[in-house]
Amino acid sequence: MWLVRPAQLSDLEGIRTLVSDLTGQLSTTLPETEEGLAEKIGLSARSFSGELGPEAGQRFLFVLEHRERGGIAGVAGIDGRAGNGQPFYNYRRDALIHASHELGVSRRVEVLYSSHALTDRTLLGAFAIAPELRGTEAFELLSRARLLFIAGHRNWFTDDMVVEIQGVSCATGEVPFWDSLGRHFFNMDFETADRYSGMLSKTFIAELMPPNPIYVTLLTDAAQRALGQPHPATLDTIELFKQEGFHAGSYVDIFDGGPVLEARTDHLKTLVTSHCKKLHSGEPTASETCLLASGERAAFRCTVAAISETLDDAVKASLEVLKVLACSSGDDIRVAPL
Amino acid sequence: MLVIRPLQERDLDDLLAMAQAAGKGLTTLPADRDLLQRKIQLTQDTFDQRCAPEAGLFLFALEDTELDRCVGISGIQARVGLDEVFYNYRVSTTVNASRELGVHVRTPTLHLTNDMTDTTEICSLLLSDSHRKGGNGLLLSRCRFMFLDDFRRHFSDKVFAEMRGVSDASGHSPLWDALGSRFFDMEFSEADYLSGVGRKSFIAELMPKYPIYLPLLPQRAREVIGQVHRNTEPALKMLQAEGFNFNGLVDIFDGGPVVEAFIHNIRTVRESVNRHVLVRHKPLDTGVPATERVMVSNRSFRDFRVTTVPALCVSSDTVSLPPEVAEALEVESGDLVRLAPLKDAGPALFAGDRRMTSSTAWHRAPHGAHSEPNGVERSTLDG
Repeated sequence: MWLVRPAQLSDLEGIRTLVSDLTGQLSTTLPETEEGLAEKIGLSARSFSGELGPEAGQRFLFVLEHRERGGIAGVAGIDGRAGNGQPFYNYRRDALIHASHELGVSRRVEVLYSSHALTDRTLLGAFAIAPELRGTEAFELLSRARLLFIAGHRNWFTDDMVVEIQGVSCATGEVPFWDSLGRHFFNMDFETADRYSGMLSKTFIAELMPPNPIYVTLLTDAAQRALGQPHPATLDTIELFKQEGFHAGSYVDIFDGGPVLEARTDHLKTLVTSHCKKLHSGEPTASETCLLASGERAAFRCTVAAISETLDDAVKASLEVLKVLACSSGDDIRVAPL
Repeated sequence: MLVIRPLQERDLDDLLAMAQAAGKGLTTLPADRDLLQRKIQLTQDTFDQRCAPEAGLFLFALEDTELDRCVGISGIQARVGLDEVFYNYRVSTTVNASRELGVHVRTPTLHLTNDMTDTTEICSLLLSDSHRKGGNGLLLSRCRFMFLDDFRRHFSDKVFAEMRGVSDASGHSPLWDALGSRFFDMEFSEADYLSGVGRKSFIAELMPKYPIYLPLLPQRAREVIGQVHRNTEPALKMLQAEGFNFNGLVDIFDGGPVVEAFIHNIRTVRESVNRHVLVRHKPLDTGVPATERVMVSNRSFRDFRVTTVPALCVSSDTVSLPPEVAEALEVESGDLVRLAPLKDAGPALFAGDRRMTSSTAWHRAPHGAHSEPNGVERSTLDG
């Protein structure tokens, strides 16, 4: 069975293995170094425990593990407040109408404005999963477990949520949007800038970003095509988020031009359709596969399993499920349909 | 004899023919009869002081008196940017630096400005192919500096010229193709024509207002910023020799440079001297080369005349003029005229004089010394 739970220091090696296996496919915002990762896990633990409050830079890191086979098959994160106390940078796509009544012409001109508007919104990120699991129940579990966590700890999170989707890069690693824009100002390749943005304070972005708006028409054709476009490997991720109620708005990533998805937290499918139920042990009949989340704060656990509803508004699942969720019969859990 | 005088109604046909022959690229003088007629009218109103001083357009004709024909023109626009908006890009530098990362990046950037607003522009230099010799181009261009200095209160302290930028034989401008055309769906030649017929500010309204980071433009466009068209190089050299310098502004369409100078620093102004006319009936060899000629201005506002005479005519306190030259300049013996060398090196005699210009032995014309027509002494024009 698959289980999503808060990351622990003992997961460090497993996460590192997972991330290094993924290198060259999709980048994650996870630190590469052992110290960096340990720090991140420690911060996550203090966030889950409530030691860090919502306004104190809560950052949650979840892991996906297979109960029987062991090992870490995926990680996913929530930043309680995008930017974590610093500005959260995006470009906002906007349009100006250049019109001349005299000459009888009117033209729509697309402009990128540097923006901090999304700062302090709850941000989903740090998502990485073993490639063979993409599109499976485990994939959906890992992604949506975060939303069940948010549903159960709603006052920790903001009313609006965002998620950054990785933008277009070539097979050879070039990032057209970066090469046409950011490279000129940062004087470094995309990988370096991406690494710094994970490692360093965001001061360098403030220092190096072009201070004025950018006319999209002056970017290379490849960069214009990449603007707001997701990396092809993220399409299933996007599909899942869209089903949840996220939509691509007018914000894009400053490095690769990838889209930023936005949603109203309380309108998300998982929050709307999930319900608290009593969990009882027993073989489910006429079963339905659902996401099940139990436990609060650091004790949070989430799995995907077959259940059946009972007449007294409780649900029945196998003993194994109760064990995975660390529940006793009669405990409250949160149930969301797939 | 070749004489500079204010442009007149009768020059219209000659002017139209010259504008047609010049083809594309002469932004301020499109071959449009009605437009040229309006310009002539404005010029006459300006010299007659029937229009507001800041709206003045001074167009000078180079008349070949034997042919009784206008063979070239040059102009001064008293002020730009007052009734329309006058745009340039300023070539500027943006620095982004991060101490933390040891990164320091300089990004050349174009900023849209109206910096030349309310400044005097010299413009519209055009010379017939048949007369491109013997310093005629110099006469057309430099006669304006004597006029500017003698009637300073009509002009700003600083004057500028917009130099034609780079375009290829088919009329394509690399900067327009990379920048302007992205915002305005039009060929450069068409945009250039619209500029000439007074609609440049309408096009400019459609141009980008935010700064343009040059690294976002292709190499071929970046290269031409601040560069002049090959045919304009001699004109640029001539202005540079007069003390004009690139002021960091470029044309928003083709990237051609703006050069400027303070009137009191212009070489022709600095090196000019005043002399009293002595009309002499002695025969004169007028066929001397340009290097040995000097410009003679009658210092009249309304009936401004300039021609050239051999430097030999100049003595320490008079200039000897044959009667026909005096007549062309509308001067008599005893009148004060202004002299300046036609060519950079100047005639030997005059070069000798020039060393003395700073001494008290030579009195430079004080500004406004010449009596002007009524109505010019407006306090609003001062300072």
